[in-house]
Amino acid sequence: MDYIDYYKILELKKDASTEEIKKAYRKLARKHHPDLNPNNAESNKKFQQINEANEVLSDPEKRKKYDKYGKDWQHADQLDAQQEQQRQYQSQSRNGGYSGYSGGFEDGDFSDFFSSMFGGGARSSGRSPFKGQDYNASLNLNLIDAYTTHKQTLTVNGKQVRITIPAGVDNGQKIRLPGYGAPGANNGPPGDLYITFNIAEDPKFIRKGNDIYLQEEIDLYTAILGGEKIVETLNGKVKLKIPAETQPDTTLRLKGKGFPVYKKENHFGDLYVKWQVKLPTNLNADQKELFEKLSKL
Amino acid sequence: MGTKLIPVNDVCTHHKVEIQFIQSLEEIGLIHTKLVKSSIFIDMAELAKLERYLRLAQDLEINVAGLHAVATLLEQIENMQNELASLKNELIYYKKIN
Repeated sequence: MDYIDYYKILELKKDASTEEIKKAYRKLARKHHPDLNPNNAESNKKFQQINEANEVLSDPEKRKKYDKYGKDWQHADQLDAQQEQQRQYQSQSRNGGYSGYSGGFEDGDFSDFFSSMFGGGARSSGRSPFKGQDYNASLNLNLIDAYTTHKQTLTVNGKQVRITIPAGVDNGQKIRLPGYGAPGANNGPPGDLYITFNIAEDPKFIRKGNDIYLQEEIDLYTAILGGEKIVETLNGKVKLKIPAETQPDTTLRLKGKGFPVYKKENHFGDLYVKWQVKLPTNLNADQKELFEKLSKL
Repeated sequence: MGTKLIPVNDVCTHHKVEIQFIQSLEEIGLIHTKLVKSSIFIDMAELAKLERYLRLAQDLEINVAGLHAVATLLEQIENMQNELASLKNELIYYKKIN
């Protein structure tokens, strides 16, 4: 526990008047108020210090005690007790009476220094506890990243936050991490962290909900005569059969080969493969002749 | 989140604030209340906003017009911070893949 110079915090001289203290407090409170400094943990901390300093210096009794003991604040209670004992002894000697000290404040979120010196601490101004500011962050992922559950670290307000990103997270989806926001004030709870996922579009795989759409080229001969084609999916390669006389833009559905369903283990959408038939170009004379023959059959 | 309605009278009692203050905030569009069977209610999500304006008004003695200006500027700051955070993360992402 270090000694806290409340005068320094409020940028005041030791002989500052009540009016000067009030003015200094207002000036600094306006500058560091947590509601005016969202996502700024440093300001939040500073505001608590300013409040604490004001709590002591704006109260004549507390200020007197603070001024009296200064850096010897750690022994304040001990010294008080000794003095009180002496006073009581003298008083009892005189008239046999007795009076005990009853002070103390309600619990608050003041520094250890304050609690040690003033026995707890609550603001006499009656400020209510309030939740810390919520932080917002966004995280960019590509489609492959969103396909598997993985951990990622991101920087929020200068702090590294490691999160688990569940497979199947959607573009624009927002998740809340309770308690990862700015600290609360006056014993209030910390704020939350909201993360928005920005998932980049993939040039090959088009995602619609949990389904994936893909276009694959096949040549004219495979389309007419049938055959096989190895297709790359998000989950590896698959060999697909192409029936004879497959028409252009025919779509094939592969059940359960699409995108994972968010937070539902082993549940997947479907994969749709659309066949694009590529017509031959630069035909030679023989090929042209054969096509002509075919057209006349 | 944000669907529970709280009677505005309870809020006034709890925070020791006049209902006129809440009405003034609503008049300039800073918060929204709901009228249900001739009683005024406030949504949980709006309550957080209201409490923020209350703190600013009580702690810093800012009037309703000032709160309006503060709210506008805070919104701009939040948008800028979000954009900055997004750009920072984007930068980290591209640094990682290159």
